Amino acid sequence: MRQGGFQKRPVQLASSKTYLMLEELRQRLQTLQKPPGIDDVPGLSPLGVEAIDDILGGGLARGALHEIAAASEAHMASAAGFVLGLSSPCPALCRASAPSRQDVDGRVKAAHDGRHLVWIAEDMAQSESGALYGPGFEAFGLRPERLVTVQAARKRDLLWAMEEALHCRAITAVIGEMRDGEIDSVAVRRLSLAAAESGALALLLRATPPTDASTAATRWLVGASPSFVSVIPGRERSERARNPETSTVLASGFRVPASGRPRNDIGGIGSESEHVPCFAVSLTRNRRGPTGSWILQWSDIDERFRLTTHAQPVATPLLDRPHSQVA
Amino acid sequence: MLSLWLRRFSTDRIARSRSRQRAPLIVTGKRGNAELVVAVDDAADKLGLTPGLALAQARAMHPVLDVIPEDIEADASLLENIADWCLRYTPLVACDAPDGLLFDISGCAHLYGGEDALVADLSSRLEAAGFAFSIAIAGSIGAAWAAARFGKPGSHARGTERTLLASLPLAALRLAPETVASLARVGLKRIGDIVDLPRAPLTARFGTELLRQFDRALCIEDEPLTPRLPVAPYVAEQRFAEPIAREDDVLAITARLAGRLKVALERRGDGARRIELTLFRTDGAVRRIAAGTSRPLRDPDDIRALFVERLAALADMLDPGFGFDMARLSVTVAEPCAPEQIGIDRREDAAAIGRLVDHLSARLGSQRVRRLIAQDSHIPEFAAGSVPAQMTGTDDGWAAFRRYRDDVDLSPRPLRLFTRPEPIEAVAEVPDGPPLRFRWRRALHEVIAAEGPERIEGAWWSEHSGQVSGNLARDYFRVEDKSGLRFWLFRAGLYRNFVQSAAAPTWFLHGTFA
Repeated sequence: MRQGGFQKRPVQLASSKTYLMLEELRQRLQTLQKPPGIDDVPGLSPLGVEAIDDILGGGLARGALHEIAAASEAHMASAAGFVLGLSSPCPALCRASAPSRQDVDGRVKAAHDGRHLVWIAEDMAQSESGALYGPGFEAFGLRPERLVTVQAARKRDLLWAMEEALHCRAITAVIGEMRDGEIDSVAVRRLSLAAAESGALALLLRATPPTDASTAATRWLVGASPSFVSVIPGRERSERARNPETSTVLASGFRVPASGRPRNDIGGIGSESEHVPCFAVSLTRNRRGPTGSWILQWSDIDERFRLTTHAQPVATPLLDRPHSQVA
Repeated sequence: MLSLWLRRFSTDRIARSRSRQRAPLIVTGKRGNAELVVAVDDAADKLGLTPGLALAQARAMHPVLDVIPEDIEADASLLENIADWCLRYTPLVACDAPDGLLFDISGCAHLYGGEDALVADLSSRLEAAGFAFSIAIAGSIGAAWAAARFGKPGSHARGTERTLLASLPLAALRLAPETVASLARVGLKRIGDIVDLPRAPLTARFGTELLRQFDRALCIEDEPLTPRLPVAPYVAEQRFAEPIAREDDVLAITARLAGRLKVALERRGDGARRIELTLFRTDGAVRRIAAGTSRPLRDPDDIRALFVERLAALADMLDPGFGFDMARLSVTVAEPCAPEQIGIDRREDAAAIGRLVDHLSARLGSQRVRRLIAQDSHIPEFAAGSVPAQMTGTDDGWAAFRRYRDDVDLSPRPLRLFTRPEPIEAVAEVPDGPPLRFRWRRALHEVIAAEGPERIEGAWWSEHSGQVSGNLARDYFRVEDKSGLRFWLFRAGLYRNFVQSAAAPTWFLHGTFA
């Protein structure tokens, strides 16, 4: 308001010199207030999905704070998986068409050896959503030995630890897992500044959709999405060809038999069942403007996100049957 | 060796906590079935009361007595506090329960300007604290102990033990009362009485203890002192003319002491893994603050940074009172630390992570900052765990885990695992099949797809009764519900066992997939 007042009545100022000085101060203030992560981005880490990368201006801005909220408490694991996908070192490197696994591994190793990920969670997180499990961690192209986990007793400790971790130069991403409750804008600002300084990715993972206003660079709402028939090139299994009548392979590696009932299939364990998580992702806030919703899946072959083209899960209608038939 | 005997230890402890002494004070305790006097103060002593008297008898002799029941734990903890406080004189302080302390002051006395000056300093401080005491210095622990309690307190030169001890009663040899009594029965009362006796008959009759204590007191046999606290390999300390109380000053002195330690550490090629800052308060309280590190550390700035966090974490506990008059920084655990080359990127990254881990651990506690490790187990909850990040192991097990995973073609594992599998109510279509629907945390989940089972046998060789699901074999299923949530469920026990017992199978939810 005050700014508007000055602009309307510049003539009333004592002299043009004062006016110039004020103008200069105002500009200085503006540069000081310029939110980190918009213009002077230390780097972008693309998700590997063009539709999203375009909206984000090339990828997720490093050196900025991003909020990722689970659609509900139950979707926490999916949100955690999405966060790990974002902090995975790979997307930046594998924009070329689907390199082989060994190839990616080798390059990732070269570029990111020694760089760590810090996962900070409140005490409650462990009992509510379970502890991070190393063997499951690897599917996201991250090495469990490069992870430091921190348990914080209070939210204050959580924010403090996040800020400290962001100051460390050997960190690629800092993930703070918050249960519920609000986070004040001062804390967000501090984290954004710390991230901007170091160029690391600051990711705030929240268990419930936040209601507070955010000054984070982006805010995402993530939930699990039913798996679809595999559409990833190179993953087209001979399954269908072999058993066209009996089963449909879901992207997750799960099978839905034609009868529509979950089937006990011992033979399916192992090579057939690679795990492809699907996410229903919506970008609810983006400092650059546009938002949107997508259904993504994580491809564990080339370790990147892919856009799923099917709008409706193939398997669901088959199973949408009244309970009475079963009971 | 210096032996300090607090003559009226129990009663002094009680008197210290009171503003005014009312009546002669005695401390009583149960010995066998009788309530006996175990300690008396000077006033009671003058009245002729001695330890060992029955309480009823004492009361009969003097109706006006202040009788306090003994508190062995309070005595012990006070003695330990005094021992800690005495670390200012020498790092080798041992508790000599119930009411004495032993110091090895060799090489330390000159810091105070000689033994007499040290004794004078100790005396004035103990007097101010309100303790009755007697101090003796001699060549051996036994001789000092005997002189403090039975002989002439003060300093006795090495080599004079024989004359010093000759006139003292045999109880001064730290013998069991029965031995002393049986020696008295044959007319041996003073140490001088046994000096020239043949050793073999003495040993045959009174056991080896008598002559061992005798030899120890006379420096014929060595007696090791067992210090209460392990002696730190590197120590630097600073006394202050004026007590300091501000946190900034404490940190500044920490950095200065760390700078001195650095020289010593570098000379031996060591780095500190655990550092302890000991602050001696003017009123005798001792504050010990320890900090661990994740890699051998030498740099004074790094050490100072550690204590910044430690002090921030226990700001209230520091409680300087009237100030600290001495500070000591000791490296309690040191490890060889190769000379560092600065500027190679990867090493610097590792150092930066180490610094961060130390920083977080110092503030939040080292148990809260962890690293994931893989363990050699096929049972999911034991296959991976976490250890404090400061504990650096040579192998975190992930390489072995990857080999194992590739060998057996392990099916996917969940992203998050519950430490204790959570019981669920599940309905399965066929008894050994995946569940059709299940209820977890009061929410019903309709299963639309399932994969499994993956059978994981229990550890039949161990009797883990602590596990929720017992030691049974488990059939794991990966299931997906209608909304796309993916879970890792298992049924505990094999189907054929349920057929026999007619019990319903129990299901658990063990983890969630992304």
